[in-house]
Amino acid sequence: MARTRFASALAFATGFLLSAAGAYAQDVIKIGVITDRVGSGKFYAEPVTRGIELGAKMINEKGGVLGKKIQLIIEDDQNKPDVSAAKARKLVDDGVIVIMSNTGSPATQQAQTVSLETKTPHLTPANSADTLTTQLDNPWFFQTGPLASIQLATLMTYTKSRGFKKVAIVRDNSALSQSFAESFRKGLDGVGIETAVEEVIPQGTTSAVANLQKVRAAKVDAILQAGILGPEMLQFFRAYQQLGMKEPILGSYNLSIPAYLTMAKDLMEGVVFVDAYDETKPEAKAFRDIYVKEYKEEPSSLPAYGWDGIHLVAQAIEKAGSLDKEKVRAAIAATTGFSGAIGAKGSSWGFRNGGRSGFDPQGAVVRLIKNNQHGPVVHSGQK
Amino acid sequence: MDDFLELTVSAMASGCIYGLMALAYLIVLRPTSIINFAIGEWSATGAFVGVGMLSTLAWPRFEGPYILAIVAVVVVLGLLGWAVERLTVRPLIRRGAAVTSPILALLGVLVIFRESLTLIYGADPLPSPPPFGFKRIEIGAFAGASQQFFIIAVTLSLFALVWLFFERTVWGRAFEAVALNRRAAALMGINLGRVTALAFAGGAAVAGLAGLLMSPMTSAHYMMGLPLAIQGFTALVIGGVGRVEGALLGGLILAFVEQLGARYLPIPSGLTLAFPFALLILFLLLRPTGLIAPREAR
Repeated sequence: MARTRFASALAFATGFLLSAAGAYAQDVIKIGVITDRVGSGKFYAEPVTRGIELGAKMINEKGGVLGKKIQLIIEDDQNKPDVSAAKARKLVDDGVIVIMSNTGSPATQQAQTVSLETKTPHLTPANSADTLTTQLDNPWFFQTGPLASIQLATLMTYTKSRGFKKVAIVRDNSALSQSFAESFRKGLDGVGIETAVEEVIPQGTTSAVANLQKVRAAKVDAILQAGILGPEMLQFFRAYQQLGMKEPILGSYNLSIPAYLTMAKDLMEGVVFVDAYDETKPEAKAFRDIYVKEYKEEPSSLPAYGWDGIHLVAQAIEKAGSLDKEKVRAAIAATTGFSGAIGAKGSSWGFRNGGRSGFDPQGAVVRLIKNNQHGPVVHSGQK
Repeated sequence: MDDFLELTVSAMASGCIYGLMALAYLIVLRPTSIINFAIGEWSATGAFVGVGMLSTLAWPRFEGPYILAIVAVVVVLGLLGWAVERLTVRPLIRRGAAVTSPILALLGVLVIFRESLTLIYGADPLPSPPPFGFKRIEIGAFAGASQQFFIIAVTLSLFALVWLFFERTVWGRAFEAVALNRRAAALMGINLGRVTALAFAGGAAVAGLAGLLMSPMTSAHYMMGLPLAIQGFTALVIGGVGRVEGALLGGLILAFVEQLGARYLPIPSGLTLAFPFALLILFLLLRPTGLIAPREAR
């Protein structure tokens, strides 16, 4: 008798727990986030993730989406493509309805194999590689980060507008920096500007004085900084200062990573770099106020990518009116005129003509570094 | 000409760093015959310990005097070097392990140090404040950054001290005796264990100091050790493993070849990475004892 009573109690408890878990599962919308907390992509992935977390918090405070709270499930892929795919699969197994990838483009590319196979909407809010939506025909994948080609074209338009005729490119020997330099070279050729010298500051070097002396001897109008690696970038700025050089420095969007401002403090005054954030834009101002209130510090552009990304996803789910993945995918694909914190004034995101890369070609800007901060916009778009 | 003189200061500063790394190898290698590749990670640890003292995570608004950072690096790295000898090298020697065993064990130590640095300080490079800022200083026709002149001054002073230690003190003589013949030195009453422990402590302290001096130029980061270990080893091979002054000479030659080559040779600047390896192979083939012969060969 006692045994029967115990079995009934156990069955009741199990049933209660299962129904509670079921109810809980229905009460939240699970969104997966792939970030890098320890690897080479931590610099940019973590601030973007912070923006997603803040966005989700704000959306939840306003009542959530379809009456449910957003629950973020965050996984760390260490910016490694194979790990990224494994983490994407884990997120799908955990029941997420959308995956957001914040680490490097190669990792995101690999994670796409999972979103394609499992038919899970997949968005990268900050990745910029042009090939992410072209290498794999994955209708489930969307990119809202500013394409490298758009950023390059914006920087080249600015370079041309300054009347520079002859420039130097300085890079390190990482693969990404090499690729930046190649894009710069092609872009410069395209607008008729001569690349007089290209200098490489190799990883592990102890001085960039010889490199910068060669640049100085070439008597260039400006220097295009295509470096990626922090220590070598620091050597560049140290040597530039030491040699008393005055040539204007133009940087890639890599310089929008705030860590460089701390590492090369007082050395980057007057440097311009391409970005996709104008802090005077009303949406950016609103984001900035919320961010400062929450974290008690000024945001860089990076959290704004995450902030916009999660809002775009939330808007699409709301529009889909359901947690059905296909309906959410269709709603994301139908997004047009989305105006967020990212992008130049007057620009908006949208997946036009069936495209899956949504950044506005006129959305990139060139900004000035002032007082060790990412400062005002000095040029906007490609006109 | 101005370029050449500017480059001279830059190459001398880099050469001093390579020389310090070579000295760290030499201090361990002479009495123990152990090539310790972990010194690269010790230099990175030195940089982090120093930066920790100067703009520490515990007291973010405190910028301590530089001498405190130097003392902290020498003491902490000395203790770490001593501990590594006691915990890894000595047990292997006591068990009569093959001569390669301590070298392999120290490669394990290298990985432990590197991973510990990322766990403690994270993967982000930490800015390292230079003691006298980073302004351009001109001394006669020579121009360079204040940090470069500081590196040169500290290195030359340290080499003078180490030279005096080896040439003028009983302990230095004990090191040399162990280097010449371990068994005979033991029979003469020299405590081999103590000499070995002191060698590891001294080598770690010198490597740590090199890392601290280098960090304002590159920031303190967990990957800074490997290139310094390669450059220091090359400097050691160039200068010769027998004499303190050889380490400095080797470091200076390597740095001048690297930087003059990068400036004046008509080759892509990325190829300067190959200079240490080319010199290493050249010296191993043509002059394996290095430029300055060890004492027993004189």
